Amino acid sequence: MSISTYTERPAAKISEIDTLSVPWSRPRPKRAGVSARLVSALTILALLAAWTVSAELQLVSPVFLPSPAAVWAKLVVVARDGFVDATLFQHLTASLGRVFAALIVAIVVGVPVGLAIGISRIGRGVFDPLLEFLRPIPPLAYLPLIVIWFGIGEPSKILVIAIAMLAPVALSTAAGVRGVSRERIDAARSLGATRGQVVRHVVLPSTLPSILTGLRIALGAGWSTLVAAELVAATRGLGFMIQSAAQFLVTDVVVMGILVIATIAFALEFVIRRIERALVPWAGRE
Amino acid sequence: MPHLTLDKVTVHYAGQPAPAVESVSLDIGKSDFVVLVGRSGCGKTSLLNVAAGLVGPARGQATIDGRPITAPGPDRAVVFQNDALFPWLTARENVAFALRLRGVPADKRARRADELLRLVKLDSAGDKRIWELSGGMRQRVGLARALAAEPEFLLLDEPLGALDALTRERMQTTLLDLWAAAQVGVLMVTHGVEEALMLATRIVVLAPGPGHVVRTIETHFGRRYAAGEPIRAIKADPAFAAARADLTDAIFEGEAA
Repeated sequence: MSISTYTERPAAKISEIDTLSVPWSRPRPKRAGVSARLVSALTILALLAAWTVSAELQLVSPVFLPSPAAVWAKLVVVARDGFVDATLFQHLTASLGRVFAALIVAIVVGVPVGLAIGISRIGRGVFDPLLEFLRPIPPLAYLPLIVIWFGIGEPSKILVIAIAMLAPVALSTAAGVRGVSRERIDAARSLGATRGQVVRHVVLPSTLPSILTGLRIALGAGWSTLVAAELVAATRGLGFMIQSAAQFLVTDVVVMGILVIATIAFALEFVIRRIERALVPWAGRE
Repeated sequence: MPHLTLDKVTVHYAGQPAPAVESVSLDIGKSDFVVLVGRSGCGKTSLLNVAAGLVGPARGQATIDGRPITAPGPDRAVVFQNDALFPWLTARENVAFALRLRGVPADKRARRADELLRLVKLDSAGDKRIWELSGGMRQRVGLARALAAEPEFLLLDEPLGALDALTRERMQTTLLDLWAAAQVGVLMVTHGVEEALMLATRIVVLAPGPGHVVRTIETHFGRRYAAGEPIRAIKADPAFAAARADLTDAIFEGEAA
């Protein structure tokens, strides 16, 4: 093939080569590298600048949009003195505790459910419709029911977050199981593996990259459910802090809380990616 | 003496109008190296899968030592074209996989795995991860892993198909050495005419529509390698060239031009 493409090129006489434009024979100049990361950084800086300018010029009332400096000052104050009877750190650990407790529940329930969906027809028949039913319901819709059933204590808050995390964990696990190569399973069976050993020694490790992806998505879903979970009878938590501040129109605390949640979510995403690289270094290299 | 036997096996996949293989019989002894060759769609791999117990015959029977084959088992270890190794394990742990399934203690199975890695000439690769190995090295690990199951028969599904020409030739000598050392019967599927002639004691030529045996050829070139003749010299022999032409004719016999 490569030979025929060579002969298809228009032949240029040696004397013409200098004067003719022969783009295929010249190395193309590399485009000056504008990395996506640089563009992202510039975008964020531009937004910050616009925010600062509009706050400085009082284009919008500070009740609606406090200046970046005011938000930063509030962060320092809340971190030191607290807001609604708890410091920022206490709000943060309360929320993190709930999200991680919910993550553990989601793993303990979701991974086996996902395996069942991926491995057995009966498992798929039982769990698939349940998950599809649960998945699109907004947390605020099932929150009252959970409060009626389980009260206003900590378990209800964890459960609300865990339900939101369940579907991503289970469905990613199931997708991972379905993606396990036939040959890998056949090779294990021909080496004497029983059905249980195939699941334990081949399917589960093969599915690990998908499970970790599921956890990453689940953490995102968990954070976005946090505020709903802390609507009822919470005394601490980032979501609770934001709601309390909103009731008193303390907008700088609201903005600060949103930025803290975003930062933590971003940091967790980063950590999980590192864990992925350490735990499943073979992903994408097979 | 164990025998792996296919008796008038017909393979018919669900939803297909015609069978993939029609009434094929094969008998493989423990000192045989049987190679299946033929054009695409002649059912080579289907037959290998029946012998492996991965596919059930629609008619006929597959037996090992007279016992019907109904499931895969470590007495018939399979090596696939795409190595099918486990990337979360090291080369040594891959080789030791069958022993781990049987509950062999860790130190003992590591020792056995290292022996097998030496046998396939990968002495120093035990701690390597699978993705750090070349295609040829992976196939060697695959072979060692199959041998660790202590099979009576090795079933090789185009194990050299994805390798470059030079690596292929080196793997051919490795296969001959292994076959002599491990005392296993081999059933191999390949597209390579030279490979079939070099390795086989018996070549079974299949033709498609539905898959059936058109010729069975006994060969002896592998024995000359075992007797010490270099593989290049054997391949340069006019007798080898004649056999290659003959086998190529047999494969393409009856094909519409």
